[in-house]
Amino acid sequence: MSSPKRTLFIFLFVAPAFIILLGVVVYPFVYNVVLSFSNMNLRHLKDWHLVGGRQYMKVFTEPTEPNFYIVFLKTVIWTTVNIFFHVVIGVFLALLLNRKIKGKSVYRTLLILPWAIPQYIVALTWRGMFNYEYGSINLVLTKYLNLPAVEWLKSPTEAFLACILTNVWLGFPFMMVVALGALQSIPHELYEAADIDGASWYHKLKNITIPLIRPVMIPAITLGIVWTFNNLNIVWLVSNTGEPSDQTHILVSFVYKAAFNLYRYGYAAALSMIIFAILLILSLTFARRAKVTEGAY
Amino acid sequence: MKQLPAIAAVVALVLAGCAARSVDLRRIVIWHQMRVDERVILESQLARYMKLHPDIRVEAVYKETETLRSDFIIGAIARQGPDLVYGPSDQIGPFQVMDIIAPLEPYLDSGWIASINPKGLTWYKGHLYQVADKLGNHLTLVYNKKLITHPPATDSELIAAGQRLTDRRTGQYGLVWNYTEPFFFIPFMSGFGGWVMDDEGHPTLNSAGTINGLKFVRDLRDKYHIIPAEADYNAADALFKDGRAAMIVNGDWSWSGYKKAGIDIGIAPLPVITSTGLPCAPMISPKGFSLNANVPPEKIPLIIDLLKFLMEGENQLETAKILNTMPTLKALYDDPFIRNDEILINSQKQIERGRPMPVVPELRAIWDAMRPSYQAVLGGAKTPEEAAEDMQILAIKKIEEMNE
Repeated sequence: MSSPKRTLFIFLFVAPAFIILLGVVVYPFVYNVVLSFSNMNLRHLKDWHLVGGRQYMKVFTEPTEPNFYIVFLKTVIWTTVNIFFHVVIGVFLALLLNRKIKGKSVYRTLLILPWAIPQYIVALTWRGMFNYEYGSINLVLTKYLNLPAVEWLKSPTEAFLACILTNVWLGFPFMMVVALGALQSIPHELYEAADIDGASWYHKLKNITIPLIRPVMIPAITLGIVWTFNNLNIVWLVSNTGEPSDQTHILVSFVYKAAFNLYRYGYAAALSMIIFAILLILSLTFARRAKVTEGAY
Repeated sequence: MKQLPAIAAVVALVLAGCAARSVDLRRIVIWHQMRVDERVILESQLARYMKLHPDIRVEAVYKETETLRSDFIIGAIARQGPDLVYGPSDQIGPFQVMDIIAPLEPYLDSGWIASINPKGLTWYKGHLYQVADKLGNHLTLVYNKKLITHPPATDSELIAAGQRLTDRRTGQYGLVWNYTEPFFFIPFMSGFGGWVMDDEGHPTLNSAGTINGLKFVRDLRDKYHIIPAEADYNAADALFKDGRAAMIVNGDWSWSGYKKAGIDIGIAPLPVITSTGLPCAPMISPKGFSLNANVPPEKIPLIIDLLKFLMEGENQLETAKILNTMPTLKALYDDPFIRNDEILINSQKQIERGRPMPVVPELRAIWDAMRPSYQAVLGGAKTPEEAAEDMQILAIKKIEEMNE
């Protein structure tokens, strides 16, 4: 096949995927950028026009209820705490499952279970478990641990903690599965050589296991950061749309409220562009610092 | 490379198909937010319609209320969406302002319009934008006849009955409801003389009615201890279904579920507040069909034909008998079932005591403004006086933001 014909042939094969990407990723993104500079809202749904950077100014300067900067801080706390526990619990369980233990497949299935249940059901089940009088968590605290019952859903801090606990439970299986896959790909000879050299369990973990699972874990953590930062479902459903008093919002639920409760589409588009910029900077910085493209061997 | 022209032709055809959107006169799409039992009835009625009109296919698509609203708006921006959209009347205001629903009165003759209870017709800015098949969507006092035989008629009777029926050690309560949600606070606010807005759509939240209503709800929990320390919709619903609550404040959508759960329920109007002499008045809103403004004119007669079919007496009566909802066709009010069914009689009493839910878009801002301060009172972070003032300030601000 001659070169131009070959190029055309390749182009034709790539074209459908490219057209779909154009339709579902590029076009909505560009449309969102345009909207973020517009006044589109309840009164200007069809006759909207560009108003410059007014919406961006509003995001940073308008006194909102709840305050944008506090919501941003909560989002950072939400993401950091969740990812920390997802990785620690996930890797810890993967290390356990990677050993020779009886009934390994049963444990593995049970531990993956949180991941297999739809988020909606998980969120509402946990919300029920956090009920002050009838929830199982307070029943365990009061009946078996002799601790006072916690007003999980009535106070802002406890409600936020309840959302985090739910998401930690929901998120660790993903990290566990990824870490387990990475652990199983480590050549056994490396551990045998370390054993001959008399390396301890800690030294093997530090010098073999962690460096060799890192290339797999870093992209998973980056994905985890993006997913957790943007995880609307758990916060929205566990806190029942931000209860109490809109004190349990993270940035995405804040955007959702602006866009769909009050029909402020231009403002919500600007806010979502800011979230995109934050995530882009965060992911790139993290990837660069963690030297994600470096090989393990 | 002989196949190249063929591949190019297929791609071109697909693209052309995407670009040109022809009017499909044989397919009518309805988006609704009906719950499962309502949906089953709708599907059977649509099946009957399609049997009568074999050349027409009707598709009913369920969406949760908020998703339906946002999806309908997004669809309308793209000049798409369903032919008919079904839901409570408070969506009419925003949809009309956005110009995404069309007036219905040009396509309905006056005789037909007159056959419908005016409460089931939502007129806004001089046009008919919604025709309802159910009246109400209203809160009432639902009680478990096994636990209480005579429902309380006043607030003091409610408290007395609640105290008698509450045993906190065993987790048994006299009364439950989703008391963290402002929609469920409205009856108590109105019972003390308050309301959400005036006739011009300006918020009226900093009133004595709001303050006293807030105090009353807080007292039910903290002073009289007749409601649980925490109860959202699901928790309250589960307590009532388990027989652990004698009474619940809930809407007509919940009744058939309680019957299915084996609870022998009675319906009663919400009590009268003794100090004001006013009944606790819930918001009343019909649920019905609106026409998408993007529907091509040649398709409208077909859609109207379907709409009239769904509004027929036989269909409304079928729904009323299964769900105990109030029909809107006047001719049905003489039907023996409607006249004699205990639940419908009491439901009708509550409808008469209720107040129409405003259909203006500003109501959204008011809900959003009420929620934080209302919950702050329940959480002990604000006094009712502070909350009422803050609700008003926030409502004004949010309305300005919405309308900027």
